[in-house]
Amino acid sequence: MRDHSKRRTRLRGARLLAIALAFGLIAAACGSDDDEDAAATTAAAAPATTAAAPATTEGADSLEGTKVTVFGPESSDEEAGALRDALDHFAAQTGIEITYTGARDAADQINAQAAGGNPPDIFIFPQPGKLADFARDGHLVALPADVIAAMNEHWTPAWTAFGDVDGTQYGIPNKSDLKSLVWYKPALFESKGYSVPGTWDELKALSAEMIANGDTPFCIGIESGPATGWTFTDWVEDLMLRFHTPEDYDAWVAGELAFSSDEVSGVFTEVLDLWNTPGMVFAAGGSIAATPFGDNGQPLVDNDCMMHRQASFYAAFIPEGTVFADGSADAVDTFYFPSVRGDQPVLGAGTLVGAFRDAPEVWEVMKYFGSSEYAEVRQRAQTERKGGGLSGFLSAATNQDPSVYQPLEQSFLSILQNADVVRFDGSDLMPAEVGAGTFWTEGTAVVNGDKTVAEATAAIDDSWPQ
Amino acid sequence: MAALWGAFIGVVISVGASAALFWGTHRLFALVERRWAIVAAVSGAIVGAAAGALLSGIRSGPESEPLLAGSQLVWILGGAAVGGLAGTVAGLRWPLSAARIGAVQSRLRALTFVGPAMLFVALGLIIPLLRTIYLSLFDKRGTDFRGLANYGEIFTNAQSLDLSGWSGIFGSQLFYGAVVLFALMAAIALYRGRRRGVRADFSPGTVGIGLGAGLLLSFAVFASLRGTVMNNLWWVVAVTFLSTALGLLAAVIADRVKRESLAKSLIFLPMAISFVGAGIIWRFMYIARPPQKNQTGLLNALWVWFGTLRPSSGGAWAAVAVLAAVTVLLAGLCAFGVRRRQTAIAVGSATAAIPLLWLIYRFVGPGVGGSVAGPNDEPIAGTILFVQESPYNNVWLMVVLIWIQTGFAMVILSAAIKAVPADLIEAARVDGADERQVFFQVTLPTIVPTITVVMTAMIVLVMKVFDIVRVMTNGNFGTQVIANEMWQRSFTEFNLGLGSALAVVLFLGVVPVMGLNIRRMQRGE
Repeated sequence: MRDHSKRRTRLRGARLLAIALAFGLIAAACGSDDDEDAAATTAAAAPATTAAAPATTEGADSLEGTKVTVFGPESSDEEAGALRDALDHFAAQTGIEITYTGARDAADQINAQAAGGNPPDIFIFPQPGKLADFARDGHLVALPADVIAAMNEHWTPAWTAFGDVDGTQYGIPNKSDLKSLVWYKPALFESKGYSVPGTWDELKALSAEMIANGDTPFCIGIESGPATGWTFTDWVEDLMLRFHTPEDYDAWVAGELAFSSDEVSGVFTEVLDLWNTPGMVFAAGGSIAATPFGDNGQPLVDNDCMMHRQASFYAAFIPEGTVFADGSADAVDTFYFPSVRGDQPVLGAGTLVGAFRDAPEVWEVMKYFGSSEYAEVRQRAQTERKGGGLSGFLSAATNQDPSVYQPLEQSFLSILQNADVVRFDGSDLMPAEVGAGTFWTEGTAVVNGDKTVAEATAAIDDSWPQ
Repeated sequence: MAALWGAFIGVVISVGASAALFWGTHRLFALVERRWAIVAAVSGAIVGAAAGALLSGIRSGPESEPLLAGSQLVWILGGAAVGGLAGTVAGLRWPLSAARIGAVQSRLRALTFVGPAMLFVALGLIIPLLRTIYLSLFDKRGTDFRGLANYGEIFTNAQSLDLSGWSGIFGSQLFYGAVVLFALMAAIALYRGRRRGVRADFSPGTVGIGLGAGLLLSFAVFASLRGTVMNNLWWVVAVTFLSTALGLLAAVIADRVKRESLAKSLIFLPMAISFVGAGIIWRFMYIARPPQKNQTGLLNALWVWFGTLRPSSGGAWAAVAVLAAVTVLLAGLCAFGVRRRQTAIAVGSATAAIPLLWLIYRFVGPGVGGSVAGPNDEPIAGTILFVQESPYNNVWLMVVLIWIQTGFAMVILSAAIKAVPADLIEAARVDGADERQVFFQVTLPTIVPTITVVMTAMIVLVMKVFDIVRVMTNGNFGTQVIANEMWQRSFTEFNLGLGSALAVVLFLGVVPVMGLNIRRMQRGE
């Protein structure tokens, strides 16, 4: 009995071994692909490292061959391409291998990456509010003193303050946008007898005059995929800064002045009254909510509308071949979005870099991101990639060589660097629930006529995290 | 060369590892006989360690410690110690009787084969599920316990559940349409019943009218009761019902046409398009351009072109002539149906004629389509904002999924129809059944199980609808659904608590349907 069972077990053992062999072969067949891939990448990586070696500068020897990963929201060929060009320029100097990955929804993806424990070394934050969230959650590394010193060489306190979280510096500005701009065609204005408005009331009077003449004053569209509504928030922010004091603006952004307050809901109403005036807006199906924000450049060039309020980066959305501010008949130029109270406040925006890893090579790249050298190299590359037109890139870093910018871009820079009151895009500073959430969605709802201003502002206040 | 060498090493290692695994199991069988207590202790320790790892894994916050260190190690070692002790005690206390050796060995053998798969299921499904449930009870970063507050927020927030418009149900045309159809159904059923001497007789046709009425009623309800949860239910009801119904219709018709495979391929084609792709395609179908410009969206282009055919213009008369010809044709078909007592044909052609008559009236009378005369008599487009106008923009979004899923329903139902035994149908024919009776009394009852499978599969899929909404509106304009809400809460706002709670709600909605499906499958075996 016992003997019998033993023989059966042995026989079964042999069978099991045969199965094991079969499994092993299958597994090896599947697995060998990876081995080949791994071998191929190692082989490919080797020459790249040696190629960078001769360019190594003194003092950076220890960083030869180190790797830094950068992740950010810029993903178009021109923007991400120019960013990579600028990083390659630094990589060639130092021997650091820098890889940039861009994704349109990077601001969403970074949450999962950080929570999953595999964040990039450096993330390009499109919103200071997000940078603050990450710093407070303990994901980011505070800047060391030497990096702060390097940053202060190139950036004024007005800009570095956006990377300051509760008194500790975490972020370095590396790109700036000027938002308080209205795009228009000077020659067309002249031929129609319109003059550039200097105050908000003049702007409204001008619009009424245009409507009376059968012209459509504004191109406006707020559709932007997952970020639909941000154009509306820009208008609200720009007007908040005009109808009220900078202090009110700061209180509003910090959550101390409610959306449902008379100040903020009054601005909502001001924007909507203007937009909803019959004949005011050139839009898809007559609906601002249905018009993609990027589709406003063509009608401006085609004279379908007279003006378009949008940031400096909008140059990238104006059809290729358009000339800018050279006095010719079809040239497109900008004027300052008029003020209400006489001061000249400026609404700005931009990106900040924050580090997830504390290593010398990471800090070198961080320093580079904050330098005027980065801005110049990037601007040159991006202008080239845009075929010589406006690049859409702008940096308020000081000590830059102004010749890399075209005259119109230089005027943006002088506005940015000389304005007394500069405030950052409010929705970018607010908590994500509001700034990338209800401010957009509820704003879209009021623009689409689904909600009243009172309902929408109350809903935004409700969503503000306690 | 290096690659070849690597492959060789891979083969050796894989074979070796597999052999070791199987040899180990084989030795284990022998051990079970002789050293039962040791086996019990070791398996107890393994189970304990796994449980410890599981518990510590579910508990750990976003900033997890490195693997196998700190408190995690304590949990695992603690689990192993407790489990090992329990195993030893159990092994010594209840020694293995000779009779049960075989049973234990066969269990072990099964475990050897199922174990790796179970491990992956646990890693990929069970642990994330438990962790999601755990996180749903906590605040946004998973640190402070909130109990069921997240769930409360989902069902009390007006964004996700807004029942304030309930009175609107009774004012909508859809509601009156449903009431009329229900009344019609009841009248026909009562009339047929009286002829047969029973209280009420529901023929398949009357049931069909009732289903249509139910669908209209559901639209009236969902257009008035708004919010994310309601939208999801609307999707489930409308897409599941319409895709299955249209799929069945296509399957039945395709069964009778000459180029069956071609017809079916065309209807099945959208299945090959991803949801994101379909969303983008349909955005172009629905797009409206500025009124002063040419319309490039197909539907708006047609609508505006209709509008340019002013009443009593040449184009309008041509359109009326064509429409009238088709109407006369339908009238003839209706008369034919009445004469041959084919109610389906009679009712079908009469129903199809109604919109045509309406179009003729609009062409002759007030005009149809979206175009008004501008100040200089130039046509200005009056476009339809398919995607922006709530609440029926939800229906236009559902059309996309119906377009995709009809093909799926058709293929499965077509196969089921073909699988109905030919002798059954032949027997029915010999007994004098006509086509309609064969379908409703033989084919349909036979394929009911397949219809159920199609519908349950569809419900699970529709419940999770995400891509189409994300691409087309991202939940704006009152089209939010639970899956997209979950994405926004979890990843845009990084509110882990609320996001997880939404995921659990979705999961709880899907589970009963899945359970039903699995039960059915097991019964089928």
